Amino acid sequence: MAAPLPCFHCGLPVHTGDAFTAVVLEESRVFCCPGCQAVAQTIVAGSLESYYLHRSESSANPEALPGVLPDELLLLDREDIQKPFVSTSGTISETRLLIEGITCAACGWLIEKHLKQLQGVLEASLNLSNHRLFIRWDAEQIMLSDLLKTIRHIGYAAHPWQADKISEQMQADNRRALRKLGVAGILWMQVMMASMATWPEFNIDLSDGMDGLLRWVSLILTTPIVFYCSSEFFTGALRDLRTRHLTMDVSVSLAIAGAYAAGIWSTFTGQGDLYFDAAGMFALFLLSGRYLERRARERTSAATTQLINLLPASCLRLNADGSSERILLSELRQGDQLLVPPGHLIPADGRIITGHSSIDESLLTGEYLPLAKQPGDSVVAGTLNIEGPLSIAVLALGEETQLSAIVRLLERAQSLKPRLAELADTVAQWFLISVLLIAAVVGLIWWQIDSSRAFWIVLSLLVATCPCALSLATPTALTAATGSLHKLGLLITKGHVLESFQKVDTVIFDKTGTLTEGKLTLKSICPLGVLNEHDCLELAAALESHSEHPIARAFGRTTTTAKDVSSAPGLGLEGTVNGRQLRIGRPDYVSALGHYPTPQMPSQQGQWLLLGDTQGALAWFALDDKLRADAPALLDTCRARGWKVLLLSGDNSPMVQQIAQQLQIDDARGGLTPDDKLSVLKDLHGQGRHVLMLGDGVNDVPVLAAADISIAMGSATDLAKTTADAILLSNSLSSLISALSIAKKTRRIIIENLGWATLYNGLIIPFAAIGWVTPGWAALGMSVSSLLVVLNALRLTRFSE
Amino acid sequence: MAALYVMIPVAMIIVALAIWLFFWAVDNGQYEDLDSPAHSILFDDEDPMHTAGMKNNTAQKDTAVERPHD
Repeated sequence: MAAPLPCFHCGLPVHTGDAFTAVVLEESRVFCCPGCQAVAQTIVAGSLESYYLHRSESSANPEALPGVLPDELLLLDREDIQKPFVSTSGTISETRLLIEGITCAACGWLIEKHLKQLQGVLEASLNLSNHRLFIRWDAEQIMLSDLLKTIRHIGYAAHPWQADKISEQMQADNRRALRKLGVAGILWMQVMMASMATWPEFNIDLSDGMDGLLRWVSLILTTPIVFYCSSEFFTGALRDLRTRHLTMDVSVSLAIAGAYAAGIWSTFTGQGDLYFDAAGMFALFLLSGRYLERRARERTSAATTQLINLLPASCLRLNADGSSERILLSELRQGDQLLVPPGHLIPADGRIITGHSSIDESLLTGEYLPLAKQPGDSVVAGTLNIEGPLSIAVLALGEETQLSAIVRLLERAQSLKPRLAELADTVAQWFLISVLLIAAVVGLIWWQIDSSRAFWIVLSLLVATCPCALSLATPTALTAATGSLHKLGLLITKGHVLESFQKVDTVIFDKTGTLTEGKLTLKSICPLGVLNEHDCLELAAALESHSEHPIARAFGRTTTTAKDVSSAPGLGLEGTVNGRQLRIGRPDYVSALGHYPTPQMPSQQGQWLLLGDTQGALAWFALDDKLRADAPALLDTCRARGWKVLLLSGDNSPMVQQIAQQLQIDDARGGLTPDDKLSVLKDLHGQGRHVLMLGDGVNDVPVLAAADISIAMGSATDLAKTTADAILLSNSLSSLISALSIAKKTRRIIIENLGWATLYNGLIIPFAAIGWVTPGWAALGMSVSSLLVVLNALRLTRFSE
Repeated sequence: MAALYVMIPVAMIIVALAIWLFFWAVDNGQYEDLDSPAHSILFDDEDPMHTAGMKNNTAQKDTAVERPHD
């Protein structure tokens, strides 16, 4: 069989032949599902099909986006709900929406153009870096819910977005950093012109008045650089001195303050060298290093960390008369009764009153198969109702739910996170102590020889040895490495990750969704009767296409239709296909249809489902949560590095041991609660181990927060992503292997940079000590050494894929 | 040289203006999204107004070619 064609819209393989086609760009194209087909048709109808010409990535599958109910969208038109995120003047409203499903720049164009075609839309502009859409519309001509619906029609999901405290803080910090950087740059150039003119190297025949003016101008222009731009170095230095640490900030503050103080003295007296330009250069170089590093880390993390929607925004409340009403989650009270349709998240902890269904608790517990539930059983907020409608009595809400308990555990876990000393600060400490000692000795000697020159020589020594290159060594390397890792699909959100990879000696894996795909896939089909594999699959898929159960997705899509499909939660499905009455599910349930004996279940591992009609059994289907294809390679790499490997899972099933056996993990534990996992981690920390954690579910979150380095899968829950130090966007474990080698190389480059910077500073000390270093030579040496460090760091961007 | 006594203060005023302008740009969000504008020019050719304009333009050129050197 030839490899299936990729879907023209989303690029997923098409298993249904040419069941879904549409004419795009004057050619007939095949699609994997009706969702993609509908999106493509809408795009063509809006005459925006050149989107397909310009996109550089496949689009997101519209069916993978979170579902919304039409009546939930209508809630958004209520004025009290719009109030927090929509600003209105007259009939014109404007708001920001967070868009999901953006894969490349062409998506931005498509969304903007499509919205602007609508009557009543005045402005639509999408920010590609944080995926936020600014939109202004006439509320009399079009409703907000219509806008959201339109965006959904072209294959994206939009959510009302409200700036939270963290993102507002982040934006304000970014702007402040940029302002300081800009001011330092603009002023430094002026200071350089003014103060260089006074240097003897240029031999300009300045009149006394002009010399004085230039000194005063430099002083005035340097003052904002010192007090405004460099304030963070001084506050940092004070903080570190209070805790008795000598860090890079102390060193930098000393050089800037020294150069500035000497400059003031020399301005007033009209004698001595001017070091103002050195102060400006330090400020500019160091601020650029820090700004670049901040920018590289925050660029895409902003887009991924916005959505912490563990619970649905609205729910259906059952009134006393049996009617249901859609309300906001915040309007729900304890003791209310809820209706949860199949395929929806359960919004609160509660007890089932009526209905049978199965509940997917995988995100909370790591259990990979849904559990059957019946009246009287309790359900937990944040889990997914799969099969049948349930009515639930609300027992706990908001802060009191089990979900919130995990979130609270997270706060405790964060305080357990060990702090790792940064390499650069360790070097800076030794460096600073030696420079201060040398300066004192040199100063004393010169005091004996020529006391009038002693001050200037000590000053030139301090300025020439300012660890400018030393402090650029780490940020530049980290910025370059963060960029290359992002291309590989690993997004670093916290700075220490690359440096501390070296220290890791233990790695903890989660099972469901991390080492395995986290979804059931069809492993094998064993026909029992007259029908062959293909026909059996066709029948099974027809039945399963009516179900929301995670098992159903494993069967793929078909064009055969089933009629009168009903589900028996925990047992299976029944329906009619082409006039043949069929059942699929548990063996005893299926054989009860025709009262025939249950056939022998194959001995292979996995979840077995039987398909049968009234005459007899037709086929066995084996389903399994497949191991990720690149998991063994990752495990080999871990072992090659001599790491201790642990598998901690919330799953109770024998799957845990089976996976451990396949991957040869000696220490595998199943059935753990988040608290258990955290105590395992504490034990490891107690043994002095440095732990890397790889996980995805809400139950992994506390451990992710407390581990030395934590990485969340790209498919992980939003809470796990915000907690982790890095996110594996590509979901491919093999890119983690390459990331490990980049991390190793990054560390080597940081060490090279630190080595070079120390060497330069060490070499210049003797020259400064004998009084040969003038401001001109100090400036030249500093720029060249900083440039070398930056160029060395740039080598990290040339990483072959 | 005497001109410098005027030029230097003028330069400082210009620098102050530049900083004010820079602050305005930062606060106005001009540096928030450095990606979208770079990509958006690639799609200018797809703008219906532009395509219509291009058609018009070629049509005019064609007529110009038909009547060379009056």
